Amino acid sequence: MSVKRRSPIRKFLLYVFLIIGAFICIMPFLWLITTSLKPSTDIFSEPLLIPTHFYFKNYIEAWNSVPFGKYILNSVLMSVGIVFCQTLFSAMAGYAFARVKFRFRNALFMLFLITMMIPDAVKIIPNFLIVKNLGWYDTYTALIVPRAVSVFAIFLFRQFFLSIPASIEEAAKIEGCGLFRTFFQIILPISKPVIVTNILFSFLFAWNDFLWPLIVTDSEHMRTIQVGLAYFQGRYGIKWELLSAATIFSILPSLAVFLVAQNYFIEGISTSGLKE
Amino acid sequence: MKKFLLFLLVLVMSVSIFAKTQVVFWHYWDGENGRKLDSLVKDFNSVHPDIEVKAVFIPGSDLMTKIQTSVLSGQTPDMAISDIISVPLVIDTGKVIDLMPFVKRDKYDLSDFYESTLVYGKVGGKLFTIPVSSSNLALFWNKDLFKKAGLDPERPPRTWDELVQYGKTIKEKTGKFGYELYLDGGEGTTWQWQIFLWQAGGEFLDPNKGYRTATFNSKAAVKALQFWVDLTNTYKISPIASWGLFSRGEAAMVMDGSWMTQFFPAQVDFELGSAIFPYPSDGKPATNMGGEQIFIFDTSKEREEACWQFIQWFTSTKVQVDWDKATGFIPVKQSVAKDPSYNAYIKNTNRLLLPFIEAQQYAHARPPIKEYSQVSDIVARAIISAVYKRGTPQEVLNDAAKQVNALLGKE
Amino acid sequence: MLERVGGPKARHFFQKEKISLGVFLIPAIVIVLVFSLFPAFYSFFLSFFSWNGFSPTKEFVGLKNYRTALNDPELKNSIIVTLIYSLLVTFISIFLGMMIALALNEDLKGKKLLRLFYFIPVVTPSVASGITWKYLFDPYNGVINSLLKYLNITGPQWLNSTSWALFSVSIVGIWKRIGFCMVIYLAAIQDIPNSYLEAAQVDGATGWHMLRYIKFPLLMPSTFFLIITGLIDAFQVFDLVYTMTNGGPIGATDVLGFLLYRHAFKYFNLGYASIVSLTIFIVLFILSAIQWRYTQGGAKNVG
Repeated sequence: MSVKRRSPIRKFLLYVFLIIGAFICIMPFLWLITTSLKPSTDIFSEPLLIPTHFYFKNYIEAWNSVPFGKYILNSVLMSVGIVFCQTLFSAMAGYAFARVKFRFRNALFMLFLITMMIPDAVKIIPNFLIVKNLGWYDTYTALIVPRAVSVFAIFLFRQFFLSIPASIEEAAKIEGCGLFRTFFQIILPISKPVIVTNILFSFLFAWNDFLWPLIVTDSEHMRTIQVGLAYFQGRYGIKWELLSAATIFSILPSLAVFLVAQNYFIEGISTSGLKE
Repeated sequence: MKKFLLFLLVLVMSVSIFAKTQVVFWHYWDGENGRKLDSLVKDFNSVHPDIEVKAVFIPGSDLMTKIQTSVLSGQTPDMAISDIISVPLVIDTGKVIDLMPFVKRDKYDLSDFYESTLVYGKVGGKLFTIPVSSSNLALFWNKDLFKKAGLDPERPPRTWDELVQYGKTIKEKTGKFGYELYLDGGEGTTWQWQIFLWQAGGEFLDPNKGYRTATFNSKAAVKALQFWVDLTNTYKISPIASWGLFSRGEAAMVMDGSWMTQFFPAQVDFELGSAIFPYPSDGKPATNMGGEQIFIFDTSKEREEACWQFIQWFTSTKVQVDWDKATGFIPVKQSVAKDPSYNAYIKNTNRLLLPFIEAQQYAHARPPIKEYSQVSDIVARAIISAVYKRGTPQEVLNDAAKQVNALLGKE
Repeated sequence: MLERVGGPKARHFFQKEKISLGVFLIPAIVIVLVFSLFPAFYSFFLSFFSWNGFSPTKEFVGLKNYRTALNDPELKNSIIVTLIYSLLVTFISIFLGMMIALALNEDLKGKKLLRLFYFIPVVTPSVASGITWKYLFDPYNGVINSLLKYLNITGPQWLNSTSWALFSVSIVGIWKRIGFCMVIYLAAIQDIPNSYLEAAQVDGATGWHMLRYIKFPLLMPSTFFLIITGLIDAFQVFDLVYTMTNGGPIGATDVLGFLLYRHAFKYFNLGYASIVSLTIFIVLFILSAIQWRYTQGGAKNVG
């Protein structure tokens, strides 16, 4: 990125603001960590942000009390399935909307956007009935297929593809590439930032989803982590220290995915050798 | 051939000996209560070798959703519990069986139950649910703050006037609030206020017309709401804030539930007292009930019978005494409340619970209608509006009555 | 030097490849049709009935739910509350998100860690966020009022005040969304070709100029995306309200998402819930149509 000459004072002020902001952002997370490290006797002392106890046993106890391993595995399988499908199908559709002129293109896109405006709460029961009638109840299929496409993602990809310079595709056309080749061999490789962004958000959506997995699964071996967390909460009354530890378990994968995704924010068109 | 037939006979016999009727029981009892239930279920299973009850825990907030989808998909459990408020919706599924035939056949004693606990399950001569647990509300106070204010820590207020007096003294002498009201809205607010309403002689919805008309804007109701307005605005002994001041030692008295006799001691750093909630000198004592009821789904004759066996066993006085001792639930049957071993146990382990057990006889039932949640929210909003001085008690209650009547009018 | 990006010429590619186009679009169309559109119609169909999801029968009531809705003070209040909330949260979080993305794109030490921190609110469960913020906002013991006291200001009642509650909840909404906006912008910024910026620098452009004339317009598609998704998100929000205010006091924070939740999952008024959902949809549609017109589908770029 471009190098700017910044006065040290400006830089310092910037740091101060950024750090204050960052602290405000992590406060609840700190509270979770602090609570998870308290022994149960001290739970009702003042909520703190800085750990005063370091009772790591809570984590072990939380992990062992319910089959978290299985829950995490289920969530991982479901999330990978959803992320893969959403990224692939949404990128393809997004590209079609951005770059291919076909009849009713705008109308179809509007229709898709409209479906985003319909609240999820009212889609739950009809979707449940569909899934039940297809015989998918209590299976991974029910967890993945209804969410195999994300209109948000289509929207995101479309916007991104719109801002790619036309020169790239013109060059591809000259070389005789059709839709498939252009998309898979040329466009996708330079779309890493948006793909990674989409993977991140699809993953977050899948990982944190509670209501749908609750409704379409029944057996304990199909439980995902969010549903498991609700059961954990119930089973263990309000043992805040264990609950916080369990909640931390459920947050860590999202953070891990973010950290990995971050690395891809460095690359982009700037490394694709675009000539002006 | 003979040997083969003999073998077959033995095989069939051994299979039928081990052929238990398996029934699935959904519940949301967690923590200690859940563990007690599991141990009771184990006891039942060992005493009834031909039945196996499988208790399945479902988180409380999701039970109704699960019941809903199980009915839609045609795969219900065999029996389940629900909160008393949700019972009308469960009955509405048409998938729970009438227990009256069983009751009559086995001469099951319904009269032992507190009358108000049976209100929910009784619909037109049929009985769809049976009470299995209860809780109620009463007064807690902070003995340390009482002492600091020069009040006798062993003598709680007994009337509304005394409540105000005590509150004023607390405020003057200690600077802390006298009494904490639940002002965070919703059923938490409504069910507290209902007690004041009943104490003043009012009714929430008209029981004579199937609970379809609002009566919470009567004179008695206005009196009850005016009292809340006075506590917060006139005498200023109750804060307008979020719940939690009592447990932080910022308010000296509060109305809270029987289950708190287990939680408060762990949470607070002051000495606690409990008593039946004060009522106006020209009124009568009252309390509100929480609790669960059990019901059987329409599955097969065999499984329904097995479930009934479990219910009979679970609601027997002996088992209920054991259950209430372990969980801190309030007895739903009078024989349990009078049981000497139960009383001795409570006296020794949880004295704070005694007033709650006594209060159960004054418990009223909230209206057993499907729309109760919505009615409750409408009234809660009115109560809070009055406290925030958005209208007079009569005005806001009339307004709410209009809304509720419109909502309930078309059935 | 700046050429028109993604102009009309680009859209004429691949017109003739019908089968390929089909492959690209069919999965999306099928899934959206079956799992989004069909349920939407089912829900619309339900709006003419009175049903609680438990009873085996649905009662046909015609336009009764619609009439109730038109006279429902809670619904009207909800629309206004939600509009205020969504406009505050959407635009402020976009602004702050963009600033932070730009700042964290510079050569700053520890920027990776800072990015992680700014992202944490997005993944922190609402329960934890709600409880912590509720504590911060506590009028008597909370950090915010304590800090204000230090400056000799008596802080308001925040979540317990009918005038401040919505603002307080909005702050938490913004807090939760900034990280999301930051990430979207970070990704988009990566694709602003270095060459553009270097060329501009050569031409003598200052930091401010580069921001206004290069970065900002090139980020327009992302901004459009964030506005639309921000509004859609805000119109469905309910868990923050559920944890912090329960819609109160007296409906001051009763957003449409919370009203919908109450009717669908608490009162089980499925027919009426469909109407609330329809209301959400109509308002969102109007707002989005305005956005669309203004930015020509988010494809508008500055030449």
